Amino acid sequence: MNRTSSPPSVEIFHAKNRENNFFSWIATVDHKRIGILYLLTAFFFFGVGGLEALVMRLQLMKPNNNLLSPDTYDQLFTMHGTTMIFLVVMPTLIGFANYFVPLMIGAKDMAFPRLNAMGYWFLPFGGLLLHFSLLAGGAPSVGWFSYAPLSETPFASSPGVDYWILALFALGIGSIATAINLIATVLCLRAPGMSIRRLPLFTWMVFINSFLLMLAIPALNAAIIMLFIDRQLDAHFFLPSHGGSAILWQHFFWTFGHPEVYIMVLPAFGIISEVIPVFSRKPIFGYEFVAASTVAIALLSFGVWAHHMFAVGLGQPMDIFFAAASMLIAVPTGVKIFNWSATLWGGSIRMTTSMLFAVAFLLQFTIGGLSGVTFAVVPIDWQVTDTYYVVAHFHYVLFGGSLFGVFAGIYYWFPKMTGRLLSESIGKVHFWLTVIGFNMAFFVQHFLGLMGMTRRVYTYPDLPGWELLNMISTVGAFLLGISVLVLVWNIVISLRRGAIVGGNPWNAWTLEWATSSPPAKHNFDQLPPLHGRRPLWDLAHPENRDEPDASREKLKETKMDKNKIGMMCFIASEGFFFIMLLIAYIFYNFNQLTNPGSQWLNPIKTGLFTFCLLSSSVTYWLAEKKLETGSQKGFLLWLAATLALGGAFMAGQGMEYWELFQKGLRAGTNLFSASFFMVTGLHGLHVLIGLVCLLIVLGAALAGDFKNGKTAMVKTVGLYWHFVDVVWIAVFTTIYIVGVRT
Amino acid sequence: MTLRQLLLSTWDWNLLLIAGCIAALFFYAILCKLKFSGKSVFFINGVVLFFVALDSPISFLAKGTLFSAHMIQHLLLVLMIPPLLLLGLPAPSHRPILSLASWIKHPLAAWVSGAGAMWFWHIPAICDAAASNEFIHTLQTFSLLFLGILFWRPIVGPHIEERLSSLTGILYLFTACIACTLLGIWISFSTLSVCPVFMRPEDPSVSPLIQGWGLTPALDQQIGGLLMWVPTCLVYLGAILFLLYRFYRQPGKVVSFPSKEKRKK
Repeated sequence: MNRTSSPPSVEIFHAKNRENNFFSWIATVDHKRIGILYLLTAFFFFGVGGLEALVMRLQLMKPNNNLLSPDTYDQLFTMHGTTMIFLVVMPTLIGFANYFVPLMIGAKDMAFPRLNAMGYWFLPFGGLLLHFSLLAGGAPSVGWFSYAPLSETPFASSPGVDYWILALFALGIGSIATAINLIATVLCLRAPGMSIRRLPLFTWMVFINSFLLMLAIPALNAAIIMLFIDRQLDAHFFLPSHGGSAILWQHFFWTFGHPEVYIMVLPAFGIISEVIPVFSRKPIFGYEFVAASTVAIALLSFGVWAHHMFAVGLGQPMDIFFAAASMLIAVPTGVKIFNWSATLWGGSIRMTTSMLFAVAFLLQFTIGGLSGVTFAVVPIDWQVTDTYYVVAHFHYVLFGGSLFGVFAGIYYWFPKMTGRLLSESIGKVHFWLTVIGFNMAFFVQHFLGLMGMTRRVYTYPDLPGWELLNMISTVGAFLLGISVLVLVWNIVISLRRGAIVGGNPWNAWTLEWATSSPPAKHNFDQLPPLHGRRPLWDLAHPENRDEPDASREKLKETKMDKNKIGMMCFIASEGFFFIMLLIAYIFYNFNQLTNPGSQWLNPIKTGLFTFCLLSSSVTYWLAEKKLETGSQKGFLLWLAATLALGGAFMAGQGMEYWELFQKGLRAGTNLFSASFFMVTGLHGLHVLIGLVCLLIVLGAALAGDFKNGKTAMVKTVGLYWHFVDVVWIAVFTTIYIVGVRT
Repeated sequence: MTLRQLLLSTWDWNLLLIAGCIAALFFYAILCKLKFSGKSVFFINGVVLFFVALDSPISFLAKGTLFSAHMIQHLLLVLMIPPLLLLGLPAPSHRPILSLASWIKHPLAAWVSGAGAMWFWHIPAICDAAASNEFIHTLQTFSLLFLGILFWRPIVGPHIEERLSSLTGILYLFTACIACTLLGIWISFSTLSVCPVFMRPEDPSVSPLIQGWGLTPALDQQIGGLLMWVPTCLVYLGAILFLLYRFYRQPGKVVSFPSKEKRKK
């Protein structure tokens, strides 16, 4: 703030008013407030998505109902799915992660507080974009996985799908930003003694989950960018009628989609792994197994997407391998279930509402998991695909699993966040209503699915038994609706009249309970000593510590640079994105015998500009060297050279585009032109961003920012710039060397 | 040819190979001074697997008949045999058996040799040459084994201090898994033949048998690609879980990169 100017007269600039002002919530970079904002926004959208579901259940209450038109129904289930996944489950879990990860590892805040705020604000922005479609001619009506070619212009001409794409893109950026932030936080900001081996399981799972987010979302981004090019620039990536491939959409989507399933459940596993031990008064059984199985799940989740596509007809070998891999992923998940059950075994269990939700989670998630394994059996999958059996399965996983975990988390952490307990008696009502409503709504759908009721059809014929089962399901759904109202009531009442609690109402052991409730802005006045996985237990029972052997504590934690970690994560994410784009390029161009258009590419001319780009990496490296030796002038000189070479590359690409335009090549001309412009254009965009970053570095250098040796910015931008060059090597090799046929 | 004949009569019984395997076991016995331990099981299994990979019907089919058999051989040589041999080696005495240049010991070089072993030998022309020319095939075999050993050294190598820390090792294996996945995806989905020799097997007596299984060359290639993709990644996953096991078993003890001071020594 500029101190020389006259004292600001606006009220919010006074520290006292700044604390609890409405604007202070908008401008906040405090991880706890951002966490709460995430939770509140997600809760709002939970209401929206829930109402959508209730309207659908009203329509399905009786056969041949005409409460809703088919198109309205399509819009509703699309919005319901998209909302619940991207605007409810993911942000809720990210919100908890935001609030509790820094607390659990004894940090003051996230690694990048402002990036954190940006990540959050993409959520309401994405939500608005998605719902803006309602004003712009109708919501998307193609299902949450937007299968091509149904989602292409000829079949979905309203701009709903376009808004869906933009919304997902915005939400994806926010999620990746938060994921990178969480990884950097866990790696770089742990308190002394909080080694990775001792991370609370919630933090560990959020950490692993962040890698999933970081690597899975680029696949979705690549797919939706291609769809967007199809819809806006008349390309035909996914239109089989013009040589495109609808199946590629499915591959790309599920490359994202299956890890997404675990993205939505791993943090819930983490919550359960915190709640069950605390209310069983036992440390978790087999910490190492729970932690390691998380890694196994995360890795396997990338290799099983094709089981969503058994009905496509990928061929027998493909089916067999993916069936085997899909069954395997049940093993680490099963390991976790056994560990949680074994933690309960012999414990002195306190059946608080939080614990009730955790136990219900165990049972319901097991049901959902088992019905999930049945899909790995290919013939069964063929039989039940696109029926209500699938609907029942994923609601058992996502509602009976994830959301029950979230509810357990709400009851467990509400006192920490507000300083007041949620009412246990209303909580029990909430719990039983939820369990009964949920199982009524979704258990019967297993039978409906096996009887052949197809999902996503707005009504059904009057077949024996169907009306009764659907009626049960609708009544259950409305019980669920009431249960949410009970939760809201509980929160409102408890915020005013709930019992005021101290720092650690549950006698829990992890660090977030070592501070006041709610925590002060700086989180901790003083951290307890960290000798094990349960610091508060060790503090209370110094004679009976978890890791009594203090002599083995030769912790030699290397200090990691958060800027470097953050940039490396971003690069990994972007690298995956470009891998997906190059796969698309290879898919569309290498298998075709003719390559119309690629004969106009001039590898020698482009090679020249490639040389410019590659040498710009060298000049940047030289600039960094100069900075290290303290030569400000040399640094500026080499930096300017880098900028010039980067600019030359962009000019070269511009010239190439101009020539191709002159020859009549447009994005929509054919698959070559579409994929060529997509890959090189997106790379060019990254070069442009790099150039802007370099200009910022130049500006900072001219302002004398690096004279005191704080060169983190130079190094971080350097990493990005080198990455852009490496991507170009891959792009150039693929398109200009291997891809050109004469 | 019937299946029975294929399984029984196509063993190579190459004297050079048998002698080599016996020599390896002999050398091993000297190396651990005839004190066999649980570790020896790994080494012996490695040698047996090596013999099976090069002498059994897998080897017969891999020479230009079945692409998937070639892939099994390839994966055994890079993924299975090297870690078994390395795990079996006794802790090294002061004098290194095989002194490698320091740049080749660098984890990045090791990673590149692992991924390179997978990619390089599946460039169509090179893959063809290896499947049809005996000399190049032998060259391939030993280069795969050598590259595999280089790749696995930072994970299970006998020099503990040169191993990667567990968490870095996980990153190392995960990225290797991605490299193999991409190759596997390419081989499985490519409509072009990766290794055209396998389209027309040299020994016509096997063809009817294979056709009887319903294996067309396209299907064969798809299976090969899937082998490179799914089981390979499961091996890496197994190794990652092994690293996690090691990570959690040694509380407070940090196994780290070879620090600069140690290198100076």
